[in-house]
Parts: sequence; structure tokens; C-alpha cells
Amino acid sequence: MATVRSWRLRSMYRKLAMFLVNLILAVAALFPILWGLSSSLKPSEQIVEFPPRLLPKDITFEHYLRIVADNAMFYLFNSAFISVAAVLLALLTGALAAYALARFEFRGRSTTMVVTVAIMSIPIASLLVPTFTLLSTVGLIDTRLGLILLYAAYQLPVVIWMLYGYFLSLPIEIEQAARIDGYSPFATLRKVVLPLSRPGLVAAALFVLVFAWNDFVVAVTMTSSEQARTLPVAIYFYLGFYGREWGPLLAASIVSIIPIIALFVFLQRYFMSGLTGGGVKG
Amino acid sequence: MANVSFKNVSKRYGDVTALDSLNLEVAAGEFVSLLGPSGSGKSTTLNILSGLQDADSGQVFIGERDVTNLSPEKRDVALVFQNYALYPHMTVAENIAFPLEARRPKVSTTEINRKVQAVVESLGIQELLARYPKEISGGQQQRVALGRAMVRDPKVFLLDEPLSNLDARLRIRMRRDLKALHSSLKSTIVYVTHDQSEAMTMSDRIAIFDKGLLQQIATPRDIYNLPANLFVANFVGDRETNQLHGELVEEGGNCFIRGNAWSIPLSRSSEQIRYKGAVTIGIRPESVKLGKSDDALSISGQVVHTELAGPDLYILAALVGGEEVSLRCEPGTSVSIGDAIPLNIAEDRIHIFDPASGICLSHGVPHVGR
Repeated sequence: MATVRSWRLRSMYRKLAMFLVNLILAVAALFPILWGLSSSLKPSEQIVEFPPRLLPKDITFEHYLRIVADNAMFYLFNSAFISVAAVLLALLTGALAAYALARFEFRGRSTTMVVTVAIMSIPIASLLVPTFTLLSTVGLIDTRLGLILLYAAYQLPVVIWMLYGYFLSLPIEIEQAARIDGYSPFATLRKVVLPLSRPGLVAAALFVLVFAWNDFVVAVTMTSSEQARTLPVAIYFYLGFYGREWGPLLAASIVSIIPIIALFVFLQRYFMSGLTGGGVKG
Repeated sequence: MANVSFKNVSKRYGDVTALDSLNLEVAAGEFVSLLGPSGSGKSTTLNILSGLQDADSGQVFIGERDVTNLSPEKRDVALVFQNYALYPHMTVAENIAFPLEARRPKVSTTEINRKVQAVVESLGIQELLARYPKEISGGQQQRVALGRAMVRDPKVFLLDEPLSNLDARLRIRMRRDLKALHSSLKSTIVYVTHDQSEAMTMSDRIAIFDKGLLQQIATPRDIYNLPANLFVANFVGDRETNQLHGELVEEGGNCFIRGNAWSIPLSRSSEQIRYKGAVTIGIRPESVKLGKSDDALSISGQVVHTELAGPDLYILAALVGGEEVSLRCEPGTSVSIGDAIPLNIAEDRIHIFDPASGICLSHGVPHVGR
């Protein structure tokens, strides 16, 4: 009996310890966001009051109205449009490249793989100047298309690498069956491989999306006009020369965070694999 | 339905020869099994026929058409995979319809539905149409895989160990179904298996492979009774063929096989054999009988192992020289390990092989009438 009780006690302690660790992690991760949300709803003078208040005394939406007036919706649209386009472009080209690398024998395949991995290790900061001159030369500086191409290009090696691994994990017999059933390699990719690769595609898409959505450095370097401005750059403009407009800044930050959180929650189920279950036996 | 022919087809993987100048003809409507241990070249043969692998040299014909350099989708063959390879993201109905949807010009939806319906009815899987592959049993998956192959009415059916994932009972039941399917479709079937009893029970002819070489192609009966070499004699049959080493000698017009402390007189004349010297003889367990102790021609052995396999009792006996012989007896036979028993070898059923090449020099009398 005594051992049973002590075992139970220990397992309870363990659960408690695990819960505490999780709680600490959750608070550490979520607190800044919640604090930002709370502050974005406070009137300007309460944001900087001391001692700070966790919950706003008076709730106001003035900062949100202010950023809408400042054309934030357009920047939000820019961010969304550029990110989604970059995701589609990176997935389209990346899937084709990854499939070729995973399933076809051709000259230079291993070299291509090595180069793809090597490119991933180049820091983006070191690419800013050359890409700036490149974009100016081809006349895409300060355009949305320029940003789309850059984001897709920066993330392409990662996308290729992720999808390559995913394609390799699919049972090859299913693709062989499609070939024998009368489908070309391209049709096999479209009708069989891609539908089965949804978890891999979702993971790769999120990778590109988060990069494109969050990017500040590339966007601020490559764009100057409002027409190509993205939300992170717009947020930056609230840190003006003459003072920090905390209210609109936090409101804009919250607006930029919400879509990505919603997306992650929505796509969570695709992270779980097992989509290929039952296709092949053994 | 079409005939298939391989002309001098070879395939190498690095230093390994997977297939060595294969020449094989399969007649239209014939059921041919490719039988062999793993790595024998049977699967390579199938893959080269389906187009999933390219031959290094030689030509492959399906009907009159040279398909050697055609990609799989252009060959009009159907393949049932060992692991079925159903499309997990499609329902049973979609899986079966999938090959028809690849057709150009397009097949109408009503036509596709009609064909799918006909196939599922013949396989008895109508009620599974809306299910996904992961929601049905292994035997049902097997039927769906067959249905996907049948719906196309292909030139040749290729089956790659389709029964090996089923349990023993179902496997034997499916043999019958496959055979019935073959007689109703009258299609050309190339069937790969490592299970000799599957090949024996279903095929019109069996092609036996070993080490990338076609060893023999013949009807199941001839494969069993007239093995071309030691490998075939050993590989086919529920039990291994007994092998004894000896010397073929002739004395006064009579032939003997003289071994280590035993001698078997042969009724075959020396003209029939045309060989003298060291030989390996092969004799199936059912051709060795428990003799009577006063029989002068019997060889004495000592029981080292017994195995009751339902209707038969198998006895493994050691001869004086140390060689071992297994024999099939009535299950009621009472022997125990260590007993000395007289063995009666049916000399007319002995196959005589060249010990170096393994090639059969003289066949014994068939076990069943030809």
C-alpha cells in the first residue's frame, strides 16, 4: 500500500511540475501579446501611467480608428496579398523542384541538393544590398511584385528541402500505380502526390507565410512609397522622429498578430500526419 | 489481351546482374507465373514489363508493339501491387474510376460509372464504394486493387505477389478467385510470386528464376516432374528434393548409382543416360518409402527427426555415410528418433543431375500421368 501511495504521490507531483513549467512558458510567450492588447485599448495617457495597470480602466477604440484613418487597412491588404502570392509562388516552384529531386534521376541532382542546402545558410542581411541593386536594375524596386519575388526566392530552399523530405516519405508504389494507370509524371504529381502531401505543403506554406508576413528588414529596404508598404513597415512609422505613438503602434501590432494566430489555430489539424494511412499495406 | 515477349533483356544494378539476357514468350490469354526466391530477377522482369524500370539492353514487346522505351502510362498494362498501392485520399469508387479518368479522349461519367459498377459487382464489393482504403480490411483492399486493374480491360495484367499480405485461409480462397477471374476475363496474366504452391495451383506455365537467370519455363506438371536442374527440383514442391551424391557406374549393361555405403540399381539403360562418373541424384520425399527389413535392395537409415504435418508424417533419416533423406509416410507410422529403418528408394523416380552444373541428365518417371 505504501508504495502504491508514494507512486501516486510522485505521479501527482510530476503532473504538477509539468503543469507549472507549461504555465511559465505560456505566460512568458503570451504576456507581451496580452499586455499589448490591453494597452492598445487604453486611452493614450493611461498607457504610460505608473504604476502600470494590467487591465485597462477605460476601454477605447480610438487607436484602432486612428490606424484605419492612417490607411492601415491598405497596408494590411498589401501584407496579405504579398504574403499569399509569395506562398503560392514558392510552393508552386518548390513542389516541382522537390518532386524532381525526390523522384527523378538526372545529372547534377546531388549538386543541386547541396547548393539548395548551402543557400539556406546565407543570412538575409548579406543579400540585401545585392538584391536591392538587382531589383533596381530590373525596375521592380518599390513594387509589390518585387517583394513577392524576393520572399519566394528567399524561402525557396527551405520549401524545397521540406517538400523533398515529405515526398520521399510517401510510398512510391502509389505514384507507380498512378503512372501505370495512365498518368504522366506531372499529372501524378498533381492528382496523387500533392493531395497526399497536404501536411507537408501546409508546413512549408506557413514557413513562407510567417516569414513574408513578419518581414520588416527586406520590405523597409526595398520599398519607400505607400503603394508597396506592408504592415510591419507601417508600424515602424509610428516610432516617429518626435515621439512614440504607443497607442496606434500597439493597435497596429495587434492587428498584424491576429490573422497569423487565427491561421495557426485553424491549420493545426494539418500538422498531424497520417493522411496516407490505408493506402499501402505492410 | 496480347502476347508478351522479352528478347535478350538484361538489367544490371552496379555490379549485380539482376536479369541476364532473358528470352520469354507469354502467349495471349496465358497465365504465367514468375517464380523464384528474392533477388532472382522475377520482380525486375515485371518492372521492366510495366515500364517502371528500363532494361539496359534487349527488347520488350506487348502484342506487336515494341514497348522497350515507352513510359508506363503508354503501355496499357495494369499492375496489382503487393501492398495494393490504393490512393488513400480517394474513395473505393474513385480509386477504381481513376484509370478511366486518365483516358484521352475523355470517357463520359455515365460510362465510367457503368464500368465501375460492373467491376464492383463481379468482385462483390458494391457496399464499399463510398469508403476510404483505410476503412476497409486487407482482403477488401485486395479486391479494390484488383478492381482498379480490371476496370481498364488492359492488354496484360501484372500481379506482384498480390496475395502475400493476406492470411493463409484467405490466400487459398483468393487463388481460386483469381483463377476464376482469369477464365472469365481470358486475359494475359503475368504473376510474380515466391510461393511455389501459388504458382503451381494457378498457372498455365511457370517461369522459374534464380540469380537473374530464367531456369525453366514449363507447365506446373512438367516443372514438378521434369525439373531442368537441381535448383528447380529443390524450389518446387512443398518439401525439398532429397539430394545424394554418388557415382554412376555401368556393370554388364546395368547401371548403378553407387554412393557412400549404398548402391541403387537403375532400370534405365546406359544409352538413356549417356553419362558416367560423379552425379547428384534427386528424389522427392514421396518417392522414398519405408521398406521391409528383409528387402535386399533397401538402404538402412537412422531416424533423426520426425514431423507430423496433418495428413503426412515426414521422417528425416541419416544414412550410414552421414547424408540425410526425408520421406513421406502415413501419419500412423510408428517410429521414434534413433530407430534403424529400411528405406526403399523408387529408382525409376530418381532424377540424375550433373553435380557441377546442376543440369538434369536423366529424369525419373513422372509422379502423375502426362
